[in-house]
Amino acid sequence: MTKIIIDGVEIEADPKQPLIRACHDNGVDVPMYCYHPGLSPVGSCRICQVEVKQGEMPPRIMVACKTPVAEGMIVDTRAPKAHAARRECLEFLLKNHPLDCPICDKAGECDLQDFAFAEGQGEGRSVEPRRKLDKRKSLGDVIVLDEERCILCSRCVRFFEDVTKKPQLTVSELGSRSTISTFMDRPLQGNYQGNLADVCPVGALTLKKFRFQARVWNLEKHFSTCGECSRGCSITVEILRRREVKRIRPRYNPDVNKWWMCDVGRFAFDRFNEEERIEGAAVRDAQGRLVETGVSDALAKAADILKVHPSPAIVASPWLTVEEGEVLLALAERAGVAAAFVAPPPNDLADDLLHTGDPCPNRRGLVELGLAAISAEEALERIGAGKSAILVGERVVELLGEEALEDLPAALRLIAFVRHPVHAPATNVCIGVPTAVERTGTWINVDGGRGPIAAARPAPPNVRPLTSTLAALAELIQRQEAPA
Amino acid sequence: MIPQVPTYLLDRCGLEDSHTLDVYRANGGYAALAKVLGGMDPAEVIEELKDSGLRGRGGAGFPTGLKWSFMPDPQKDRRARYLAVNADESEPGTCKDRVLMEKDPHGLIEGILIACYAMRVPVAYVYVRGEFRHPYNRVAAAIDEARKAGLVGENVLGKGFDCEIWMHKGAGAYICGEETGLMESLEGKRGHPRPKPPFPAGHGLWGMPTTVNNVETLFNVPFIVDRGASWYRTMGTDASPGNLLVGISGHVERPGVYEIPLGTAANRILEDWAGGVLNNHKLQAWFPGGSSTGLLPASLIGLAMDHDSLKAAGSMLGTGAMIMLDETACVVRAMEVISRFYDHESCGQCSQCREGTQWLHQIFRRMENGRGRMEDIDLLESLASGMAPAKTICALADAAAIPTHAVVKHFREELEAHVKAGCCPRKTARTPETVEAGA
Repeated sequence: MTKIIIDGVEIEADPKQPLIRACHDNGVDVPMYCYHPGLSPVGSCRICQVEVKQGEMPPRIMVACKTPVAEGMIVDTRAPKAHAARRECLEFLLKNHPLDCPICDKAGECDLQDFAFAEGQGEGRSVEPRRKLDKRKSLGDVIVLDEERCILCSRCVRFFEDVTKKPQLTVSELGSRSTISTFMDRPLQGNYQGNLADVCPVGALTLKKFRFQARVWNLEKHFSTCGECSRGCSITVEILRRREVKRIRPRYNPDVNKWWMCDVGRFAFDRFNEEERIEGAAVRDAQGRLVETGVSDALAKAADILKVHPSPAIVASPWLTVEEGEVLLALAERAGVAAAFVAPPPNDLADDLLHTGDPCPNRRGLVELGLAAISAEEALERIGAGKSAILVGERVVELLGEEALEDLPAALRLIAFVRHPVHAPATNVCIGVPTAVERTGTWINVDGGRGPIAAARPAPPNVRPLTSTLAALAELIQRQEAPA
Repeated sequence: MIPQVPTYLLDRCGLEDSHTLDVYRANGGYAALAKVLGGMDPAEVIEELKDSGLRGRGGAGFPTGLKWSFMPDPQKDRRARYLAVNADESEPGTCKDRVLMEKDPHGLIEGILIACYAMRVPVAYVYVRGEFRHPYNRVAAAIDEARKAGLVGENVLGKGFDCEIWMHKGAGAYICGEETGLMESLEGKRGHPRPKPPFPAGHGLWGMPTTVNNVETLFNVPFIVDRGASWYRTMGTDASPGNLLVGISGHVERPGVYEIPLGTAANRILEDWAGGVLNNHKLQAWFPGGSSTGLLPASLIGLAMDHDSLKAAGSMLGTGAMIMLDETACVVRAMEVISRFYDHESCGQCSQCREGTQWLHQIFRRMENGRGRMEDIDLLESLASGMAPAKTICALADAAAIPTHAVVKHFREELEAHVKAGCCPRKTARTPETVEAGA
């Protein structure tokens, strides 16, 4: 480690990292556009100019992102000259910027807006016409480019070069005529395009799916973990008006996903916004119809069924958390049976960056608890072989196949802890469960890392957590057994 | 009558078939190479260069011997190493390297070979400006000729020295004349200059130790080696020895490329070599060494043409390309043209340069078209200060800022007259394209 002084405070800095990193790691704010900690520095935007004094030389203005840390360096980020240099730089950056913040999706989390507000001058001195370029240039299914807002920091170009290692974007033309483009205007490819909207420091690259959807300051942000594969990327779930999931973004985690996430995970939130669900519970009445009822009634009905038809087949969803798995195991023990979860075969999304191809986010956690991973076919066989069965967790029906459940003998007693009503004739009890954005818990990823999931919004009032409903069922079974 | 001064650079250029090996050899060509390979240590060659005081002719005027000595010791650093020859001559007004490549390509090749020997570099690349088709063909043919004669390739002159020379054609971008932009372009990438440090001597072409030299610089080398550093110092000044190729253009009687001892006063060059201002007009303004060195007023025409005298006057020797504007010319129009050039040629990496060059051009264009404002004059100065010095990756922003500073400093009245008159007071003929561009 190297000792340097930043704004009068002596700190220890990693000599392999650029000066800007030492500043940021020590809580000193230095603006940046072209620099991104996950990309190779190019030193082209020139906004991170700070004053550096080395040895006996007079202080010099240097770009912090391309200056290596050196022993004894004295850095002043607030020196008047450094401030003036950044201010000048901002004026140039804003000269052709359309300043359409009121209709820009980036407004509120835009680096250009923030730094201009912090250090820029109130009014521009330019009376020249601003550059007229394409305001909505599609770069494929995910991203749309606003060329006028682009400040040509080249982060997006370097994202494909450095992270996915498959370059797709380039700066074409020269000087003030430069634009970001793909080869022959072909659409972008791959599972990582969404990251461009995150690396873009301004509103030039935006997600088609998030375009004009919400003002970012109205979004409530909750830390969570992505459930689309066993990588378990750290994410932020962003909720509008405590109800609708509007955006999922990667959250920096040095051990798992760094700054990135795949598009499959990023756009897997529509199912959280579906209105249709069991808000409480439903049981089959004497006429054979599924009717809504209270959770307690439904649990009692389930316990009754299990008394008559003990030893149910227990099949869980791979989206179960470790905590839910523990309670489910206790229930299985009480019923004297084993529990398993459906593990679908690997999909073809695996790559060498993040996606593992295994759709079970908590495979490792559930297996370590003692739940067996079984295929959908085996699960259906087990269910069909017994007199009763318990299905647990969101998307378990989807994995087994609704049609396959329809084909189960009507004599079977099916108890389902699920989000949507299961209309199969075998269904006797349906109890609603919260989705991944409505509960807390832990998933354990493929490498054994613990990924917390957090309730980003409340579940409907009558939808109780799985840990609570499963525990209640276990207790009911115990109570029925006790007198005997 | 052109003054009689000792010359060497252009001596062979007037001969018939000067570009051929036979003529070159008949006039003492490749003697220096034979001398070097016959028993000079590489370090001795570099010492000779240092003693000669030769300064780079590409514009910055860095001492060549010192630059060569930055190359790491090949015993300790076993990486590949390269020489890149900057033949991308693209500074507006400059056409000196072109003459050398067309008329005396073997002189360049001999310079390359000696440089490679001194720096123990086995491979040299000649990066030729794309538009230079004839010079390119001449140098390529000369390399073939030299290869057949055992002067290029393996075991040069049977002395166990290997040196391969490759040619590369640029695509006409000004920025590829900047040494790191040139290297990027040679590597097959966009000509985006690289931040320095790391410097080319440690991390150049493909990350390997590289030296980049201008054509004219290398052309001086065989003469220095052959005739000695003390002979070289008989010409020019103490700090800038030797002769310089000055390409003089614009409103002069005899435009052309002349060989002139460094330190010669600019007015002598104008009067004695170039025959004075065209049509006996009065001189109004002049660029000492290409458009990047800025417009100087006629009152400074007495300045000596060497690195230090011009630097002291706030300008630069640059490439020694003098451009003369007589009293009928409009300096604002001249600035409109050259600022358009920088706007067009900025690579677009650095914010200040990309936006600043465009902004400067827009202001000069407005002024020339009669839509200037008084406050624009201070704005020009302020913008130029925001772009340079040394605020960007390469010196292109400086190249645009220096002429802007110069015109505000020396020709403020001209600018004010444009604003007041609401048009160009000289009413020089405007081309349809400027009118259209301003409309």
